[in-house]
Amino acid sequence: MRKKAKRDLTVEQQLARGPLDLPYLALVLLLTAIGLIMLLSASYASAYYNLDPSVNTHGNPYYYFMGQLKFAVVGVVGMYVVSKIDYQWWRGLSVFALAFSILLLILVFTPLGRSSNGARRWLDIGFSFQPSELVKVAVILFFAARLSKRKDQIKAPPKKWNQRTLRGRMGAWLEKIGLLELIPYAIILLIILFLLYKQPHMSGMILVCSGAAAVLFASGIRLYWFVGGGALVGGALFFLITQTEYMTARMQSWLNPGSDLQGDGYQLWQSQIAIGSGGLLGLGLGNSRQKYMFLPEEHNDFVFAIVCEELGLIGACLIIALFALLIIRGYWLALHARDRFGSLMIVGINTQLAAQVILNIGVVTGALPTTGISLPFFSYGGTALMVQLAEVGLILAVSRQIVAPKVE
Amino acid sequence: MRKSKQSQGRTPGQGNRSLFRRTVFLLGIIGIAAFIPLVVQLVRLQLVQHDYWEERAANQQTQDVAVNAGRGTIYDSQGRTLARSGTVYQLILSPRDVLVSIKEDNYKDEEGNPDRAAYEKAVQEQRELIVDGLVKILGLDEEDLWKRIEYTDSAYDVLVKEMEEEDTAQIRTFISENRLSSMLYLAPASKRYYPHSSVGGHILGFMAYTQDSGSVKVGAQGVEALYQDVLSGATGRVVTSKTGVGTEMLSSYEEYIDAENGGDLHLTVDSTIQSMLEQTLEEGIKTYNVKKGGFAIALDPSTGAVLGMASSPNFDPNSYASVFDQELLDELKSLAEEYGEDSDEYNQAVSDALNLQWRNKALSDTYEPGSTFKPLVVAAALEEGVISPNDHFYCDGGQQVADWFITCHKRAGHGDQTLTQVLENSCNDGMMQIVQKLGADTFWDYLENYGLFDSTGIDLFGEGTSVFWPGGKDFFTSIYGETSVATASFGQTFKITPIQMATAFASMINGGHLLEPYVVQSVSDDDGNSTYYHQVQEVRQVISEETSSTLRGMLESVVAGPSASGRNAYMAGYRIGGKTGTSQKRDETSGDLICSFMGFAPVDNPKVLVLLAYDSPEQSASNSNYTPSGTYISGGNIAAPMAGQLLADILDYMGVEKQYTTDELEASDTTMINVTGYELTVAKGLLTDRGIRCRTVGSGNTVTGQLPKSGVTIPGSSTVILYLGEEVPTDKVKAPNLSGLSPSEAKNTLEEMGLFLRATGVTGDGTSMEALSQSIAAGTEVSPGTVVEVRFVSSVIDYADQ
Repeated sequence: MRKKAKRDLTVEQQLARGPLDLPYLALVLLLTAIGLIMLLSASYASAYYNLDPSVNTHGNPYYYFMGQLKFAVVGVVGMYVVSKIDYQWWRGLSVFALAFSILLLILVFTPLGRSSNGARRWLDIGFSFQPSELVKVAVILFFAARLSKRKDQIKAPPKKWNQRTLRGRMGAWLEKIGLLELIPYAIILLIILFLLYKQPHMSGMILVCSGAAAVLFASGIRLYWFVGGGALVGGALFFLITQTEYMTARMQSWLNPGSDLQGDGYQLWQSQIAIGSGGLLGLGLGNSRQKYMFLPEEHNDFVFAIVCEELGLIGACLIIALFALLIIRGYWLALHARDRFGSLMIVGINTQLAAQVILNIGVVTGALPTTGISLPFFSYGGTALMVQLAEVGLILAVSRQIVAPKVE
Repeated sequence: MRKSKQSQGRTPGQGNRSLFRRTVFLLGIIGIAAFIPLVVQLVRLQLVQHDYWEERAANQQTQDVAVNAGRGTIYDSQGRTLARSGTVYQLILSPRDVLVSIKEDNYKDEEGNPDRAAYEKAVQEQRELIVDGLVKILGLDEEDLWKRIEYTDSAYDVLVKEMEEEDTAQIRTFISENRLSSMLYLAPASKRYYPHSSVGGHILGFMAYTQDSGSVKVGAQGVEALYQDVLSGATGRVVTSKTGVGTEMLSSYEEYIDAENGGDLHLTVDSTIQSMLEQTLEEGIKTYNVKKGGFAIALDPSTGAVLGMASSPNFDPNSYASVFDQELLDELKSLAEEYGEDSDEYNQAVSDALNLQWRNKALSDTYEPGSTFKPLVVAAALEEGVISPNDHFYCDGGQQVADWFITCHKRAGHGDQTLTQVLENSCNDGMMQIVQKLGADTFWDYLENYGLFDSTGIDLFGEGTSVFWPGGKDFFTSIYGETSVATASFGQTFKITPIQMATAFASMINGGHLLEPYVVQSVSDDDGNSTYYHQVQEVRQVISEETSSTLRGMLESVVAGPSASGRNAYMAGYRIGGKTGTSQKRDETSGDLICSFMGFAPVDNPKVLVLLAYDSPEQSASNSNYTPSGTYISGGNIAAPMAGQLLADILDYMGVEKQYTTDELEASDTTMINVTGYELTVAKGLLTDRGIRCRTVGSGNTVTGQLPKSGVTIPGSSTVILYLGEEVPTDKVKAPNLSGLSPSEAKNTLEEMGLFLRATGVTGDGTSMEALSQSIAAGTEVSPGTVVEVRFVSSVIDYADQ
């Protein structure tokens, strides 16, 4: 099929063919490349010694790297394809995407699901993948699509509440404080969180919340809902930490990893050894010693510790700076997006990505208690990388439609 | 208008503005602010706490093996090895790694829950394997091993300190077969070997753990201690990486810090001379039942090089912590029987005995030098010109000094004496007169110039400090110091170290040069290149060459003179000079004496200076001057004979040509010629030509047999036997006991039996000469004509003061 000439396109279509945001694309590709290299270094020993009982690497030190590389190539192509799609389509599709992903979450609890390490998170349908990866995006798309219409509601005449009845007055009041409009979002969130809780999938819950909260926040929901929501979450966390043995132990091992070196504190302790021993300049690429069976999960959640060990404070700060630039650029794109939907979508995806980066690095450095969040572009995990690149593709799709400033 | 819009809620513009503001807010918070604590945390870990974490990392990631530098070898002056290092192995157990080697994760029941019991059983089995193996192979104490292996806080427990290479094979196999290398391993260590056992132990010192030495033995005495840094070199390290399970890391992270081997020491000490000194000491101690041991020093007086330095009791540096001296062992044994080995008395005695045997008396102890000091005073007086060699001194048996009448050891007085005779007689009265002329001021200066106030600077560890009068020079030169001046003239009332005494004496006979004594001639590195060579260090010129030469002559007379105090040190053919000393111990009331002799030879060009001293020979009764066997206790009777023989042995060993006087030549050996078959007159003529006297047995004119046979070496003064028709006796005879006989008595006794006497030691017809020892023990069957060598001494009454 021949490509249509530009003049035959609608304005919308023409916009969708606009140029990609090159700085953002460059940052993504750079981080993906660095991530792959660091994964190779970090996973080398683990693959060589075939440490993970659930994977047979056949002693091939490149096993994890090659796997990740394939997904990265497919992911980058996917990112490009997604960026070519006019993102306005997602407005309509988001409902189905959300419904579909919630269905998949439910399917996890059917025989199609697979559990590992005491958590039921995977669907085995020819290949293995986590529906929670999908639901994170679907929630953002759906929320962004719905909340981008808030301003349109103003044009329509406000619903008349019958002030004479108690119900009417209550309704008017609830609408005034903005609760009514929140109810559908709250219900959707609670359903998803419940499903994730049943897996259980703590990090998934956090990320879904962070994405959804960012979209709600940016869309102009009144601030006291956030204050109230924050207080609620904080209170729940405080209850969990102080009242449940599991969380108390976890907090203890975070605050004082040296106290429990044989148990939960071990990982954080080893991570801090890796980071601390890296020093200013690091041991040099590939020279990590902690990856030799000292630091568990060294190619997954704790890959950043190996980065710090090998590249030192300078290398680690450089990578943090790249992530920060990526996130800042993402918000910049959100500020310049053509419409509210684009803005909110970017804010959601971008905030989720930022949360992942910050929480991961915070956990690895011991600044935050362990949650099990992987580092985007770095941690091993094919589907996660593809989904991340696809999300980036969404942001790039928005960037295509940014109207270039007129040159006088 | 505006108000109504607000009441309506939102306007499109307001919604977008809110979106814009809130996105900018998110950008600030999440894109920038949230990263700050992360960077802060990284800075904290990687910069502030870097050392802490790096140490933690090194602790778990590396196996840091120290590579002991080869400790330098110590050679004697002839290149013989006195001390060398060899590799031994330490067996090290890491109880922590034994525990870690069993992974708790591997023990789960069917449901995946940890199976505590199975895990603990596995740990126990692993421990049993190790303990049983070690008990079987090395015979270690099982109970103790269990205690150690269960102490899992430790990752480094030395089970066996020193294993020789050949003993390690079995344990190596055990480790590799059971894959225990991460928890049980052999680490090389160094062990010091002293091939000559106790010879020179005090000079060499030994290797021990000290307060600051940590886990490595360091030199604890002697040159091992003083040259610790030179000998030890620099310890190297091999840091190898290990993985979390204790295996070698894949990446080649290895760091070698080369060990730098220590330098080799080449001592001035000659192990042959050293063992001569030690044997002479032991012999004398045995003969005279000396209670407190003794010391001996041999110096090269022209350089200050220490040829040997011995102290008794001594020890074996190979096992420095066990008592070596037989007498001390006997004492300890009786103590153990009396109090038991756990008693405080016994343990205290062991510790005392160890400290005593480690002490190098020649270096660390001080003593009153006694009469051996007199030549130094004479030299000073001659140098100052206050006396001349021709001066005469009258000894009336004592001298009134201040309120004291200080007697000479010969109460009757020596009468009129030349200066040489003052020394020969070791006359205290004469010395007091000399020192009066010298004056306290000048005397003090000479004490200083002889280096008696300072340490000698010898390169050995633990030099003692001399003890002089508390008031110092002011006291000495005042009227209150007069008695001190007088007694100091014959070497009493002050204490110096033997090495100070020897050094000062050496300066007096070597032309006046006070030299720094030394034991290390040179240091060479691994490749044999010399990194240090000792240059003779002259501290100062004390007296002139001329005075020195005069003194040497006088001191020869002290030994060679017919009735001189040092005549028991006389050995024909060796021009020995010297001075005896019998020092009282003014700080003890036991009446014990130190008998010493300071001798040197040859007199015209001294090659060796010897100071030999015995501390407290046994007295027949308390404060008696005689030994139980009747020897008068003095330097001249006890130390001089031993020192004379010692000097002769050393000179022979050094290959110094003998020099005989004419008298000595006459007495020197000749070879018997064949006169059998000759007529008696012819035979007599032939023998007389060679200075051989003869007597005949039987009657006839023709010599039919002779004793001894031709070719036998006999002393020149011997009388041979010519047989005229009678059979030459061939029956063996028993050597007689000559002990205590005078030379003529001994000669007659022997010749009656057809044996010949070769007299050594003191010659002449001294009144009180008696046989000290004989070369062929009494009762031994010998053929007729055998020459028996007998050493004669003469009793010398030589008291420093009485």
